[in-house]
Amino acid sequence: MSTIQELSIAVQRRFGRQRLRRIILGAIPFVTLAFLWYLNTANEWLPPVYIPPFASVWEAIFLLEEECMGFMDALTMGSGCMFTNHVFSSLGRVGLSLLIGLPLGIAFGVVAGMNRRIANALEPLGIFANSISGIAWLPLAIVWFGIGTATTIFILLNTIFWLVFFNTLLGVRSVPRVYENSVRTLGGSRWNVITQVYFPGALPSIVTGIRMSMGFGWRALIAAEMIGGDSGLGFMIFVSASEYKVEEVFLGVLVIALIWMFTDRTMLVPLEKWTIQRWGLVWRPS
Amino acid sequence: MATTSPSLAPSRVVPSRRWRRFTKEGGAEILLLIVGLLLVWSIISSIIPNPSRYLPAPLVVFFSSGELIWKGLFPNYVGQTLYRLILGSILGLGVGIPFGVLLGLNRTVSDMFYPIMNFFQSISGIAILPIIVVWWGNSEKTVFTVILYTALFPIAFNVLSGVRSVPRIYVNAMRTLGASNYCIVRDVILPGALPYIATGARLGIGFAWRAVIAGEMLTGRRGLGWWIFTAQDTDHTDQVILGMLMIGCIWILLDRYALRPIEADTIQRWGLVQR
Amino acid sequence: MQAKLVVQGLTHHYPDEYTGEDVHALDNVSLEVEDGIFAAVVGPSGCGKTTLLNILAGLLPYREGHVKVDGVDVHGPGPDRGVVFQEHAILPWRSVARNIGHGLEIQGVPADERQRKVAEFVELVGLGGFEDRYPHELSGGMKQRVSLARTLCSNPIVMLMDEPFAAVDAQTRITLQEELNRIAIATRKTILFITHNVDEAAFLGDKCFIFTRRPGKLKATVKINIPRDRRIWKDLINDSEFTNHRDEILTLVREEVSTLGDD
Repeated sequence: MSTIQELSIAVQRRFGRQRLRRIILGAIPFVTLAFLWYLNTANEWLPPVYIPPFASVWEAIFLLEEECMGFMDALTMGSGCMFTNHVFSSLGRVGLSLLIGLPLGIAFGVVAGMNRRIANALEPLGIFANSISGIAWLPLAIVWFGIGTATTIFILLNTIFWLVFFNTLLGVRSVPRVYENSVRTLGGSRWNVITQVYFPGALPSIVTGIRMSMGFGWRALIAAEMIGGDSGLGFMIFVSASEYKVEEVFLGVLVIALIWMFTDRTMLVPLEKWTIQRWGLVWRPS
Repeated sequence: MATTSPSLAPSRVVPSRRWRRFTKEGGAEILLLIVGLLLVWSIISSIIPNPSRYLPAPLVVFFSSGELIWKGLFPNYVGQTLYRLILGSILGLGVGIPFGVLLGLNRTVSDMFYPIMNFFQSISGIAILPIIVVWWGNSEKTVFTVILYTALFPIAFNVLSGVRSVPRIYVNAMRTLGASNYCIVRDVILPGALPYIATGARLGIGFAWRAVIAGEMLTGRRGLGWWIFTAQDTDHTDQVILGMLMIGCIWILLDRYALRPIEADTIQRWGLVQR
Repeated sequence: MQAKLVVQGLTHHYPDEYTGEDVHALDNVSLEVEDGIFAAVVGPSGCGKTTLLNILAGLLPYREGHVKVDGVDVHGPGPDRGVVFQEHAILPWRSVARNIGHGLEIQGVPADERQRKVAEFVELVGLGGFEDRYPHELSGGMKQRVSLARTLCSNPIVMLMDEPFAAVDAQTRITLQEELNRIAIATRKTILFITHNVDEAAFLGDKCFIFTRRPGKLKATVKINIPRDRRIWKDLINDSEFTNHRDEILTLVREEVSTLGDD
């Protein structure tokens, strides 16, 4: 009894009382849901083709990886490792699109934001592009690039570029002019003004743009892979659903959610908080 | 309405107010940009091989609309899509607002459901579509479920932070007047949270719009999304582009003239600054 | 002796941002500020004071007239003229020390020398211990000290100050005025200080330029011969020499305000 009490006090110290309370409370619905899932498997209220047993979802990983020759084979995307291949191809597309889309979006956004005339002209274009970005481009992309990686990357890039561009533009425009003036009166060049005033000033807005573009982009990618892809998690769940392999669909959906939650919690949210709190910047374009 | 400044060179003519507003808001630049884009588009489609497949000229796209309107298909598709969007959004608001208020009122409830809502929000509506198709087939119910699912979370989360943002002092003031809980929610919490609710609605409907298009493509229910997908299948690239332009224009019109004014109105009327 | 800052026949027009109508901001302004002199520019609001400062800073191109700093024509902004702006123009994403050393950084001064200089000016403006803070952690008065130190640090020939104490509370303003006086003694800088506050102008200025309402013209120049080390508020407040100068300036400015109508 006393050891349990000691343990509970130690745990409370370690996590903090409020945090502990929140963790436990937050876990309740997850546990309940898992329990209901378990009960459903046991009693078959809904048949497995609607809600597959948890065990079969777990086993689906191994079934998909059946012909995989171990860890190295999975990393090099050997043809047998179906599950990891889909995960890697989705992640790879995101990585590649970010690598191209971010620098482009930020560069264009900064230049456009600094010049009022360019900004005025490009703002409506940005709004328009954002409102048809994502999967509305899909049919045209399929015509241009065919089914496959090029199409999915085009969709993803399209989403990322416009959101980052637009948020950078708004961010740069919201930087008070007096900062530019002050750096110029210190003898700063145009390049100094860009790197020391507009880029850092727009950074909170850029980070918000990155976070938004990842949110929209990840969704758009899944949809693009379903319709115009030949690999990736979206492709996997779509094909599995058409073959009524519901456990694979569940697996894919869970992995999609986990990847997004992990990226958002561990990378994007901290990045956003860091810039905003450290510099005490509050201006954020809506 | 040209006037001259008194002391200076009399040749300084002040341009008309309307023209000034037009140029100040960047009208000239926008016009230039649109003309430029159309020009580039025309040039590209005149030099590439097989333009009718890869990039039909602007005029071809424009004239393809005539045929569609003539056949009455086009208004039909737009109507279907808008009907889904509006009904889905109403459903999303109807579920999301009470849910958000409930979560915002009670700390324990919100601590309990916040993580799981976050989890389900991370699964995009499009990702669960295959599951729902397995459940209910390519039916109207499937599309509506996806729209509801997509619109629900942004609305609920915004309502939640809206309810939280209402200063305690208002609630306490009502308490001292002897108001009931229902009264407090109706007279203090909801009006106080309104700007956030409006923002959430705009965001949620924005998500829903994308979901409608994707849902129509994937389930084959008739509408704008289905239309551009089918047009691609039958090699009518002109109609694909027309459909895309329509999707963009409808959203801008909706956002500009319905959602944004509502949002701005609630924020301004109460003099609330949203941060 | 050659004046450090010379303005000759400066006239400026610009189109109003909203109505597009022509604004005649400055009309044939000529003034000189000699080496080590603290010059205050006073006038009713909207008399073109800020326009004048922006032209001197090189932020606004001018067509009619001449502006010379140390005998060289002014074209565009440069480190020879340091500006302290009315708003808090220090960068929120740089710490106090990095803000103060910003000018030197732009000039490419090596890091160790920069650090030495920054430390010197941090002490001068009384910000010791706050070097690693970010601007949002500072009070309004402290932000203006940073702004001042940043300008001083790049050692400009002329310092231009645009109502730097307008946005701080009255108590802090008095302290900052006395501090600025002390710094002016210590650095012997040539300063052009713009204000609409008559007390401030009379307290700080060796020379006060009074401007008319728009279009801004130089209306009068008042010389104040109170030695700098005597300029402490609690002594001056009842000093007849000071009050006489102040009332003289006040009368000149009042004439402009009263003819301004309801503005």
